[in-house]
Amino acid sequence: MINILLAGVGGQGTVLAAKVLAQAAQDKGWNVRTAETIGMAQRGGNVVSHVRMGDAGESVLSPLLGRKGADLIIAFEPGEAARVVPYLAPGGTLVSATSALQPVTAALSKKPYVAADLVAGIERALAQTSQTFVPIDDAALCAQVGSRKVLNTILLASALSQTDVALTLDDLRDAIRACVKPRFVGMNLEAIDLVDEL
Amino acid sequence: MTKHLLMGNQAFAHAALEAGVRVVAGYPGTPSSELVETVAALHADGSAQGVHVEWSTNEKAALELAAGAAYCGERVLFTCKQVGLNVASDALMSLNYVGVKGGTVLFVADDPGPISSQTEQDTRRFASFAKVPVLDPATPEQGFAMMQAAFDLSERYRTPVIVRPTTRVCHASTFFDVADTTHARPVPEEGFEPDPKWIIFPRRAYQGHGEIIERLNKMAKDFVHDEQFAQFNVMFDGGAGAGAGANGGAAADGGAGAGAAADGGAGAGAAAGAGVGAAADGAADGDAGAGARANGGAAAGAGAGAGPAVQPAHKPRLGIVAGGISAAYAQDALAELERRAHAAGITLPAYRFWQVGTPYPFPNELATTFAQGLERIIVFEELDSVLEDELLRHAGRTHARYEVLGKYTHDTRDRGENDLDDTMLRLANFLGVDGLVGCMSLSEAPEELAALAPARPPLLCAGCPHRGSFYAVKRALGKTPAVLCGDIGCYTLGNAAPLDAIDTCLCMGAGITMAQGFAVAEPDKKQVAFVGDSTFFASGLTGVANAVYNGHDVTICVLDNSTTAMTGSQPHPGTGVTLMGPRREPISIEAVLRALGVTCIEHADPLNLEASISAAQRAIDFAGPAAIIFKSPCIQIIKPGVPAEIDTTLCTGCKKCITEIGCPGIGFDTQARGEKSKDRGQAFVDPTLCNGCNLCTQVCPFHAIKPGMSPEVMAKASASAAETSPEGKEATR
Repeated sequence: MINILLAGVGGQGTVLAAKVLAQAAQDKGWNVRTAETIGMAQRGGNVVSHVRMGDAGESVLSPLLGRKGADLIIAFEPGEAARVVPYLAPGGTLVSATSALQPVTAALSKKPYVAADLVAGIERALAQTSQTFVPIDDAALCAQVGSRKVLNTILLASALSQTDVALTLDDLRDAIRACVKPRFVGMNLEAIDLVDEL
Repeated sequence: MTKHLLMGNQAFAHAALEAGVRVVAGYPGTPSSELVETVAALHADGSAQGVHVEWSTNEKAALELAAGAAYCGERVLFTCKQVGLNVASDALMSLNYVGVKGGTVLFVADDPGPISSQTEQDTRRFASFAKVPVLDPATPEQGFAMMQAAFDLSERYRTPVIVRPTTRVCHASTFFDVADTTHARPVPEEGFEPDPKWIIFPRRAYQGHGEIIERLNKMAKDFVHDEQFAQFNVMFDGGAGAGAGANGGAAADGGAGAGAAADGGAGAGAAAGAGVGAAADGAADGDAGAGARANGGAAAGAGAGAGPAVQPAHKPRLGIVAGGISAAYAQDALAELERRAHAAGITLPAYRFWQVGTPYPFPNELATTFAQGLERIIVFEELDSVLEDELLRHAGRTHARYEVLGKYTHDTRDRGENDLDDTMLRLANFLGVDGLVGCMSLSEAPEELAALAPARPPLLCAGCPHRGSFYAVKRALGKTPAVLCGDIGCYTLGNAAPLDAIDTCLCMGAGITMAQGFAVAEPDKKQVAFVGDSTFFASGLTGVANAVYNGHDVTICVLDNSTTAMTGSQPHPGTGVTLMGPRREPISIEAVLRALGVTCIEHADPLNLEASISAAQRAIDFAGPAAIIFKSPCIQIIKPGVPAEIDTTLCTGCKKCITEIGCPGIGFDTQARGEKSKDRGQAFVDPTLCNGCNLCTQVCPFHAIKPGMSPEVMAKASASAAETSPEGKEATR
């Protein structure tokens, strides 16, 4: 069983990323189940997607994984990475974008939200465990492709290339072709190539 | 047949279409809305042939319309969220007495948590109150099969049938094989056959009550003996002995086998799955496709009909009962405990599991089979203690000695959602193998990190026109004492700081009528009610009529954003857009208000602050019922405009733009320095969020926020060197 958690802010593309992962798992012939938080989570709210894959042919009934249950966490924003650290399994990997999205609450409050502190905090906390932290300079990578729209693909590609999850970048390329609107496929494949060459 | 990744609600839509549903009607509400949207999309692309689909004005209208079509013999599907059934309940209660002809299924989505709802009410309870059968799926695949079985059940007994998924089933996605084209079942030749039975009179009700009692007894038997329904009552033995026995693996592996059945089951060739799984696979996961039912069901059927399928070496004394998504959690948790026990070289004590997929009428016969030899039973269910009550009743009736652990005994959660962690912990405890989850306690470091994440509560979007409406009313009121009654929709979020513009929120349409109660009780205060355009049509009109009729001095603010925004931008009578395609003349909110007798009706664009404040002022000052229609489209349905810009030479760092309207598009940079701001820091506009509504440009006392200029406007401006007017900006929105 592979359990993956995607965490981000509404509008960042977590839902599509979960779909792409589900497609990749389906192409492998695995059972797969995903779940999203939708509804009150309008733009600006934090959103989480769960993806559970039965890579050894086992069944998956519950759409949600439990605490300490994620083999892989892909965070689209450092604050959201911190929020879901309790879900990371022993030996799991946390891949996170490092650019921050400031919430209104931070603008209204006296305590500023400094993302770099959180990134450092996660790094410190995970260094003492069997878990791995992979910060991704998403701003630089997206700039190279020329669009923030590829953030989810860059994170997916980085995550798959950094972990032993049995999905390759070629599996990801196929899933992208199947799930993404044709006019955006090229841009996303370019993003995967970029990560591939790192 | 094509394989698609479908969300539960999308799968339910396909299931109903494949069952030949002819009329689909509902009112939006999370977590139910995607079903109707899916049917509409499949109708629009031509793959769902012959179906009529609509968003009705409210749930009552939808159910009554569906009932009419069902009297003619058509298969009908009504959809709503749990509180929507409250609105439709008047129709439902009588409909069950009258009975139906065509299959009548009510898809009512419950929302444990609650995640996006006003209450944690349990539709299983509503079903027993209305004496209507209810099916309760644990997974989207099972829901798919239930949806199809529900139409058959409805026609067999001429009864409405409720299918009740919960949020986690509605919004879970997995792969399904679905028909590429579906055809609605045509109206039977004889159509509607007039008969006194269709008219609810006291005499008819007495007779109908008898019919209801009789059919409920029959259905309770069908849920045990008829494979089509018995498959939803998954029962199997696990633990000691079971692993080495006929099961060919622990119950956990049985659960694992279910997965193979799940994918096969969703498609044509489910037979592949049938041999793989143990009893668990049949109903839990295996049989989305019609062909699958016989095969996948066979395994479960053995358990359901003829007693536990697998005879363990030791007779179980421990029983586990679960309903809905809790059955998925429990089976996954049992599988995990089996794995851990195996790894630790121990065996779990013998136990028996039962998913009650047909909670009402409760299959008592199955309870007797299940309870054989059991001494303790733990019940996992969300919302109410429906199954727990039934088991307690069963124990009393049969003088059984088993003990029931659940919500009453504080052995399971008494509200909110269940989850995998909690279920596993409680199961380990129940089975006496706490050691297998010994490391569940969380270390503090991750929790401390999580606490550092910035709060991101749901907020009105950047550029949301409601922000302007609330702000204008607040400004117009100034220090005048007032009560601000809210209603159901995005605009409930007007309660958040810094707007703080909502004092009450009760139920659909309540704001208008509650304001009248406040007016009676506290006549010295101003009473203002906010209502969205969709809510206005759904439940607001009677309140307006009441205000006019009884002469209440209230100000009704209709926040008209041309959509039902909170639930995902559905059309409503004020938009003229229909799901069938043809556009109708939109119903004018002003004409409705005028027809209902409201004489003072103001109009304002909420993004024009001055005009909005003065319109609000006039309406509030009017003695008697008055209305303001704040009209500006939801930003989710229009193209974004050009982001506003901060003039860093003028920004003083006063934060007024943030503390007055709290738009997510404006942040504050404590490091920014400017001529006027000194070392206070400065506001900044996040161009990825700002959509150029320009409300903030009217709020800034130092004119430091300017409307952004589109490339065309900029070119024009530099060419003519003329100042850009705000109207030019408006045109781009």
